[in-house]
Amino acid sequence: MAPKSTAAAKQPTTSTPSALHETSPAAAGNAVQSLLKAYNETTSPRLKLIDAFLVFLMIAGVLQFVYCVLVTNFPFNAFLAGFGSCVGQFVLTASLRSQVNPANRNEFKDVSPERAFADFALGSVVLHFFVYNFLG
Amino acid sequence: MFFKRVVALLGLVLAACARSSTGDSVLVVLDSSLDKEAYSVFWDGLVDKGYSLTFRSHKDARPAVVEDEVAQFNHVVVFAPDSKNLPQDLTPQSLVALLDKGTNLLLALSSKKQTTINTLASEFSLVLPPPGTPLISHFPARDTPATVVPVPPPHAHPVLTAGLPPVWFSGVPFAYTPNPLLLPLLNAPAEAFAADTTSDAGADAVVEAADRAGEGLWAGSSLALAAGFQATTGARATFVGGVEMFSNEFAQKELPQGKLSGNKQFAQDVASWSFQESNALRIDKVKHHRVNETEPRETYTINDNVVFTMHVSKFNSNKDTWEPYSGIQDMQLEFTMLDPHIRTALSPVPGQPGEYSVTFRVPDRHGVFKFIVDHKRKGWTHLQSTTVVPVVPPQHDEYPRFLSAAWPYYIGAMSTSVGFVLFSALWLAGDDREGKKKGIKTE
Amino acid sequence: MKLSLLVLSSLLAARETLAGQLSLQQARFSVLGGDVSPLRQEPISLSPANEPDPVRLGPSDTLKLAFTVVTKEQDSDAEPKGVQPHQTFVRFFDKQSGEEGIVPVRVAQSGKAKFELSMARPPSSLPPTPLQGNETAPLTVSLLMGSFDHSPYSLQLFDLYLPPSQPAPEHPDEKTFHPQPEIQHTFRPEQKLPSKFVSGLAALVVVGGPWVVLLGLLSQVPLSTPHLLSPSILPFTVSLTALEALLFYYWADLKLGQVLAYGAAVGLVTVISGKTALEKRGEWRLQGKK
Repeated sequence: MAPKSTAAAKQPTTSTPSALHETSPAAAGNAVQSLLKAYNETTSPRLKLIDAFLVFLMIAGVLQFVYCVLVTNFPFNAFLAGFGSCVGQFVLTASLRSQVNPANRNEFKDVSPERAFADFALGSVVLHFFVYNFLG
Repeated sequence: MFFKRVVALLGLVLAACARSSTGDSVLVVLDSSLDKEAYSVFWDGLVDKGYSLTFRSHKDARPAVVEDEVAQFNHVVVFAPDSKNLPQDLTPQSLVALLDKGTNLLLALSSKKQTTINTLASEFSLVLPPPGTPLISHFPARDTPATVVPVPPPHAHPVLTAGLPPVWFSGVPFAYTPNPLLLPLLNAPAEAFAADTTSDAGADAVVEAADRAGEGLWAGSSLALAAGFQATTGARATFVGGVEMFSNEFAQKELPQGKLSGNKQFAQDVASWSFQESNALRIDKVKHHRVNETEPRETYTINDNVVFTMHVSKFNSNKDTWEPYSGIQDMQLEFTMLDPHIRTALSPVPGQPGEYSVTFRVPDRHGVFKFIVDHKRKGWTHLQSTTVVPVVPPQHDEYPRFLSAAWPYYIGAMSTSVGFVLFSALWLAGDDREGKKKGIKTE
Repeated sequence: MKLSLLVLSSLLAARETLAGQLSLQQARFSVLGGDVSPLRQEPISLSPANEPDPVRLGPSDTLKLAFTVVTKEQDSDAEPKGVQPHQTFVRFFDKQSGEEGIVPVRVAQSGKAKFELSMARPPSSLPPTPLQGNETAPLTVSLLMGSFDHSPYSLQLFDLYLPPSQPAPEHPDEKTFHPQPEIQHTFRPEQKLPSKFVSGLAALVVVGGPWVVLLGLLSQVPLSTPHLLSPSILPFTVSLTALEALLFYYWADLKLGQVLAYGAAVGLVTVISGKTALEKRGEWRLQGKK
């Protein structure tokens, strides 16, 4: 199993230098595509689940911000609560991802993935409590 | 026999029920040169109304007006035009102190001497001519001397009864500086003037009086012969230019046109105003509360709708009671914090006698406000009422909620919650294939 | 006793039958301009029907009156005699405001009298004539003559329009004795809300967009959820859902005290179920490693 994964891991490193030398938009598109391909191949489904959730939160936050700027910010507390819930949840989820990511095992020797998830859940519930308090 | 006596006594008691709103004991200080009986029409009129009169000579010091800082009488009448000095308890300072204690005064000025009452009159914005210059009028041609003047009373006066016949007057007129506390009761006729000459040879002196530096000529209808002063303490002080207006002789004298003079009725009107019988008002009750509530609150919130209600009574001297009075059409309420933020009309409520009410919206500034009613009109008691009430911004749970503008935010927060729940479910349910794909050693 | 003496003395002091009626002769008035040029000269008639037209004075004009005071015996053909009456006044009266001014006239022993009113140096007793609209209010000018020995006489002369002057001084408290102008408070304008349609549309976008993206991404991910309904995991999931539902209910309807109480109860359940769930997961993870 080990040689395969290392071979798989080696592949991107040899192919990227040649890709980086090209500067045309097609090359940029190429870079993005290869980035996505590499992402797809290297991340586990569980991490992809977290990433999907992160994207969801980011879009929700951006949309609420755009509404506030374009239409009205009148119940400002409501805007802060809604936007804050997205941002706060994003932060918690990102920290869960970094704690659960096997590549970071060395940094988080004391924190098991279950412990990380427990922290994440507690943090989220407290965040939502404050959000609903402030939402008005 | 016994029954008749009881009925008579009862009748006397009932007739003597018309009293002043502040009490019915009157001290009359009479000059020893004046005969008490010569004014019996006036005294009897007062006694019939229910006052109890105590007479005292101007030289006596007893009965004292004030004892141990307490006023002993409700009203004091000083008819002492011939005495330059009065006892200690009737000096100008003592009389002013009496007004502070709520005692009403009826004072007669002197045309011959500079009495202490004349000096006191200048404190009340009255300007007297020099001593020895009584009022003179050559109009209309009549049998009496020029110093006895028939004076037509004013039309539509708030204090005097309507349709009063002309009044005989003898004494000193006075000018007055514009002072809203002063209510002129009788103005001199336009042709009258003050002069000390008694024959036509004094014509030059009259003209020279006008050139004299100072006040010049006292003439015309801008002079008053009787004026009432409503002090800010609520007591009333009336200055009359001469005592003869109250005498029996003038009350029974016929006017040049042939009618009987109005002196008797005029004297009673003046006395009833001075002794707080007529035009006496008071505030019974002041209430404030939010619309749709009945109890006042400790604090009000900005933009509240508040109802302010006031009950006012007027004294009815015939029945000796305070009756609700709805006749004030121009009362105003001020809602003030340092400066009036709102000034609005406090109008009488139809159907509720004596009740005045207004509903208004509290300004959107917070602070300590006062409901101020300060109703002052010439000749009427001052109505003053101040109620302090704090106004606070809305509490944290009094703001409007569930607004349509915030729907996206509500939806956003809820969708985050739902997403979290979904994510947790998927995460907890998922298969933790840790060592499979990446194969990184977890040592 | 005193009373009778008083009555007697007043009777004695009563006037004798007045000798004659005061009257005027050769009465005329003139208005002179600032440069002493005669602007108007008219006689004054004693009959009220012939009242002259209103007199208008400019700021530098002068009004002059000249007349002779005489007595006329009743039922007698004797010549009227010039006399100096006790009182000869000119009265200026403003009917609208009730202000009045009296100026005495110096009459010689022979009865000749001259009166001058110079607007350059007006007497202080003139009533104030403030401007009302375009003009000042007219003053009624009349002549009053009274004497101890003769019947009095009064004559209304004409209406007088004076140049505008300062209004009569008012006591500083005077305006509090009349109704004062009303004061309204201008409130901050209400917050304007955007139309419900716009807000509703935005809400749909905010909920729809991200969910569409999320579901799309999740469909790409090869997820497997074998333990979804496992009895050790499910209670935890359910209690987390319950907590979130409680929080939503708190926003809609509850008070702080209530939500903390319920939250403590549900939280306890969550903690217990969470412990079991996560322990189980830990076991599986370590087993899976083997």
